[in-house]
Amino acid sequence: MAMREVHKRYLREFLPAMAAYVVLILLSALASARVDSVAGRVVLALLPLLPILLAIRAMVRVVRDQDELERRIDLEAFAISAMATGFGFFSFGLLMGANAGWTVSGQAVAIWVMPCLFASFGIAKLVVLWRYRSHE
Amino acid sequence: MNNHVRELRGAQAWSQADLAERLDVSRQTVNAIETGKYDPSLPLAFKIARLFGQTIESIFEPGE
Repeated sequence: MAMREVHKRYLREFLPAMAAYVVLILLSALASARVDSVAGRVVLALLPLLPILLAIRAMVRVVRDQDELERRIDLEAFAISAMATGFGFFSFGLLMGANAGWTVSGQAVAIWVMPCLFASFGIAKLVVLWRYRSHE
Repeated sequence: MNNHVRELRGAQAWSQADLAERLDVSRQTVNAIETGKYDPSLPLAFKIARLFGQTIESIFEPGE
């Protein structure tokens, strides 16, 4: 099935932004070890966020410009994944507070938020898509 | 809501992809409307009605 123009545009905007994000993460990690000042390291750590603004713009534009059912599917999937990730991590925090015998560093938890959000969005989208698909 | 979109499309010998292109929506959306999985918004219902030269109420009927 041919990809619609709105989705081609999304890929044209999103993929370069994510590529720039990955490059800046690598550069900031390499450069950070050579910078002594705290302010410098903070700037380097936050530098990869710049292309993320472009990625967010690409996402907002595709949600706005795709057709109404596509938009509904994406927004339903996003609502499910946002709630699942948010409450999932909140519950994980409560579990950590319960001293169940294992600990995870705060850095590891923070780093896993985004992959969990993306993965749960993918799963939620499959479920929502299935709901709107014909089963005749 | 029930609708006659599939019959109207068939009468024109259009595929779902043809209708989707004319309505500027995805084929998935046409399929979901035809099978009653999704009720279109008023603007899209008007677009469908205009494309087939009919009124909205002759194409869409309230379901149970």
